[in-house]
Amino acid sequence: MIIEALIGFTFVAALLVLLAPDEWAGRLAFALSLLPFAGSLSLWSGFDGAGNALTGGDIAYATQIEWLEVGGRTVSWFVGVDGISLPLVVLTTFLVPLAIVSAWTPIDSRQSQFYGLMLFMEANLLGVFTALDFFLWFVFWEAVLVPMYFLIGVWGGPRRKYAAIKFFVYTNAASLLMFIGFMSLTFALGGSVESFALPEITQAIADGGLGRFAGLAPETLALAAFLAMFLGFAVKVPIVPFHTWLPDAHVEAPTPVSVLLAGVLLKMGTYALLRFNFTMLPEQASALAVPIAAIAVISVIYGAMLALAQKDLKRIVAYSSVSSMGYVILGLIVFTEYGVGGATFQMVAHGLISGLMFMAVGVIYNATHTRMVGDMSGMADRMPVAVGILVAGAFGYMGLPLMAGFAGEFFIFVGSFSAPALPYAPIFTALAMFGIVIVAGYLLSAMQSTLFGPFELETDYDVGPAPFHDVAPLAVLLVAIIVLGVAPDIFFEMIRDAAVPVVEGVTVDG
Amino acid sequence: MIDVFSYVPAIVLLPFFSFLIALGVGKYLPKGGAFGGIAATAGSFLLSLWVLATVAGGEAANRTLYTWADAGGIGPTDVELSFGILIDPLSALMLVIVTLVALLVHVFSLGYMNDEGETGLPRYYAGLGLFTASMLGFVVADNLLMAFMFFELVGLCSYLLIGFHFREPGPPSAAKKAFLVTRFGDYFFLIGVVAVLATFGTAQFAGEGSFPALADAALNGSGSVAWTPGGVELQTWLTVVGLLVLGGVVGKSAQFPLHTWLPDAMEGPTPVSALIHAATMVAAGVYLVARMYGFYALSPTALAVIAFIGGFTALFAATMGLVKDELKQVLAYSTISQYGYMMLALGAGGYVAAVFHLTTHAFFKALLFLGAGAVIIAMHHNEDMWDMGGLRSKMPVTYYTFLAGSLALAGIFPFAGFWSKDEILYEALVHGLNDPLLLGGYLMGLLAVPVTAFYTFRMVFLTFHGEPRSETARDPEPVRWNVKGPLTVLGSLAVVTGFINMVPVQKVLGLEGIDLLHRWLDNEWGGIEGLSSHHYADIGPYSSGYLVGGEAGTVLVGAVVSLGLALGGLAVAWRLYNVPSPTEHTAKLGGIKDVLYNNYYLDELQVWLAYRTENVAGGANTFDQGIIDGVVNGVSSVSLFGGGRIRRIQSGVVSQYATLLTLGLIALLLALGVSGGWFL
Repeated sequence: MIIEALIGFTFVAALLVLLAPDEWAGRLAFALSLLPFAGSLSLWSGFDGAGNALTGGDIAYATQIEWLEVGGRTVSWFVGVDGISLPLVVLTTFLVPLAIVSAWTPIDSRQSQFYGLMLFMEANLLGVFTALDFFLWFVFWEAVLVPMYFLIGVWGGPRRKYAAIKFFVYTNAASLLMFIGFMSLTFALGGSVESFALPEITQAIADGGLGRFAGLAPETLALAAFLAMFLGFAVKVPIVPFHTWLPDAHVEAPTPVSVLLAGVLLKMGTYALLRFNFTMLPEQASALAVPIAAIAVISVIYGAMLALAQKDLKRIVAYSSVSSMGYVILGLIVFTEYGVGGATFQMVAHGLISGLMFMAVGVIYNATHTRMVGDMSGMADRMPVAVGILVAGAFGYMGLPLMAGFAGEFFIFVGSFSAPALPYAPIFTALAMFGIVIVAGYLLSAMQSTLFGPFELETDYDVGPAPFHDVAPLAVLLVAIIVLGVAPDIFFEMIRDAAVPVVEGVTVDG
Repeated sequence: MIDVFSYVPAIVLLPFFSFLIALGVGKYLPKGGAFGGIAATAGSFLLSLWVLATVAGGEAANRTLYTWADAGGIGPTDVELSFGILIDPLSALMLVIVTLVALLVHVFSLGYMNDEGETGLPRYYAGLGLFTASMLGFVVADNLLMAFMFFELVGLCSYLLIGFHFREPGPPSAAKKAFLVTRFGDYFFLIGVVAVLATFGTAQFAGEGSFPALADAALNGSGSVAWTPGGVELQTWLTVVGLLVLGGVVGKSAQFPLHTWLPDAMEGPTPVSALIHAATMVAAGVYLVARMYGFYALSPTALAVIAFIGGFTALFAATMGLVKDELKQVLAYSTISQYGYMMLALGAGGYVAAVFHLTTHAFFKALLFLGAGAVIIAMHHNEDMWDMGGLRSKMPVTYYTFLAGSLALAGIFPFAGFWSKDEILYEALVHGLNDPLLLGGYLMGLLAVPVTAFYTFRMVFLTFHGEPRSETARDPEPVRWNVKGPLTVLGSLAVVTGFINMVPVQKVLGLEGIDLLHRWLDNEWGGIEGLSSHHYADIGPYSSGYLVGGEAGTVLVGAVVSLGLALGGLAVAWRLYNVPSPTEHTAKLGGIKDVLYNNYYLDELQVWLAYRTENVAGGANTFDQGIIDGVVNGVSSVSLFGGGRIRRIQSGVVSQYATLLTLGLIALLLALGVSGGWFL
């Protein structure tokens, strides 16, 4: 019942904060958000599951209660975690308190609503990562969009309306496509499944339960469903060319919202790809290995090239997320334990590092009220600690060893270089790896012109060291990034155990 | 009995703790945390000496200490990624070199940084500490992945220390360039690491199951590798992997064409130049090749490439050093050139010669940089040699130690550099007599000898001889014990280090036992099987040829020729610059002078490439905003427009609805029929 308590408490916390006065809503939200974090840590420390929840492995902390019946199939409240979802639960509950603290400075109106929505979003995110029934999962999945829409649309920058609507419509349309894809799968399974439970559906597909549906042969249907779901999730990840909502959303969103958007919301896409496309339909994925690897590589290189062309610090970090997500896709498609495990690890690592980067850029913005590269220089002179952490975070983004990002990327590269499931694997891997040069290029250039050199900034404000509550979350994130980089087994061991059954879903000749 | 090897991690961790202390509480400590750094490096140095003594006592270590990640023993990419230590004669020697130079640089920094009233000292000492720790971690690494990881951390520290004066425009730019250019090399290195793991399932340097041993076994048919890319010959693939790793070496050891970052890196404080850009970080590349020499020796092509790059870089960089006006710039190009010699040695099968030159160069180049630092203190941070002159009488300790270093650099008998450079040229010659490509490398290396002697003594004469040419040179600022002390230690080493390996004397006179380093690296006192110079010679591709007079004759001819050329270069410098008021003679070079001044326009080429990349990025951005996002916005406009049109369909006329329904049903049936194959 810990998971229910976790989600339920977060909903209640959201309500409490919504009703609290604006003056101390931020403090209250922070205090309340620590409890889910403590809860997720207890989940982590008590976790002893093995295997993948969908393929018949252990489902830790599971609850399954029948809820209602739709079309002869039961819908249940079915939650639980395995080695893939648990790290993402911990990531979510870890990032939310930090994001809340980072909001104390920039959010100066309607605070109780802001923090209430943040917690409401957290509750839904926890639902997405723990739900094991399709309907339940879909409800949480869609419900995440609502607080996000308001958080961007109300507290965002000048073009917040455009960005919020673009985000909402684009990802919602994609969800619809995904929904159709998944439902056609369940219909094709016919009588071989009795519920919408994801493990049951996964295993029924693996046992060859797919029949003809709507006149389509099972193979054609599975392929069509795969494509529909892939496109649906591709928008969320986002994968090139479905990425253009992301920079707009990031630029307009306030800092703490960007932190969660990049840190957790993007991982919904990769998590769902892993769960639905790559675990349920491994053969279809494998058949499409070359085109998927190609768009993964394109995402890496093209996203990095776009980041190189940007002048807005937030846009730089936003585009580099596109690049980093490309690595995740590459790791998933190669179907090796280092590939799939590394991709999952990279989700957590990128969540922490991009969170740190957005927060650090936000701290500078709080002081300078500009994010444009040409508008300032020499910030290291005025905000030494914040800039120091930003530099460390940037090196983390560049994949500096002994930081989490290197671990994730390196696992992916090791997993993909000789992967039997992907033709031309060494070439794809080597091309994707060139991303580590471009990322160094744009981050170092941006840092050189904004952080170093003589201090220059046209401003009426007094630019001095950032307040403690701005810097503290940065420091906490940096420590977490280094700890995970030195000891990746904190998560990697459980991830690997859950990734192995996914890998075994694909048999490669020779 | 105490197991000294269990203290090896402490050698790495002590400077790391000094980094943490300086970073955390350095501003509350006296001297900005310098003493912590000195204590830590002194501790590491003593432990390293102990390790060296233990290795001399016949012990060695190859241990895995910490598993970073593993795949759980399943699947096609089941490799274990771990950290460990590999202590053999090579790494024990390198530990002593790195810790000694680091210690001396810490002491020197008291004079160069603290006494000069620099700000940000805790950051400086933190950087030195982290650098020393990373370098030591690299040296003791027992596998290629761990080596790569610490190699990257070394790059980070270099970035932080080159950009130490971040408030000025120059240093941040130089720091960026250094990291980016070496990162480009490390890109290939990283592919190499991944390729080694994929091919052999291990990245261990030593032992039965190490990747050099597996590669050797696979080549002579007594074993096989886990994976090769489809359709590629094993021998070819091993060469490719070796060359990929070499990318990182070329970057870090500043070899052509990735050498351009090193002269710019002189923007960093001078002690940093001594530590990082002369004695240790740049040495990392060469050390890596030596560390996995058992792998390179299997590929004649890779060796030939290494030798050629090395020989070319030795000559190429030396020519650029001819015309530089700033003291540290001359030293920078000489560094590139000297590492070229080491690469030439490695490529020519001269494993011992390369390690020998690595050792002597570490001492005499650290000495020269610290000597330059002393001059820079004296000159109030003016580095232009044309403003100096006559410093000999004002700062005798600096002069005589600097002179010792210069004689070593120029390769004059009997200073350290003579012995090591001579052995490199000898190896290249005897092996090159059977291999034209290698002979080309030898000739370039030989040609660089007089050039080196010339620019070295041009520097010495301009700085210390003649009449003072500026007010500060007439009245230089005095330096203290903390500068003179390290100079004296290194000055002595520059004189005597060559005596650890007097191979020519042994060969000509037949004296036994004076080739200490040869026997050391041949595991005569103990070591690890498969990591000895004999083993490398056995598996390597080279055979020796001799000139008239057999081995002894060839040694003698080679030594006389190279010493004669060095003396010739020195003599020309003496003629031109050892005069009371020297003038520039570069005009005699004509158009070549501009080319040399501008470093063969290679920097311009790289800047041009960077701009082109930015142009491409700009183009991609326009495409993204215009086409891709344009389609997205276009679709949404179309659907808004379409929504307006569809509204018109809802006319309320029932017959129209019926028509539409019927049409829709027919369309649906047709679609189902086509896909269901009803019409076939």
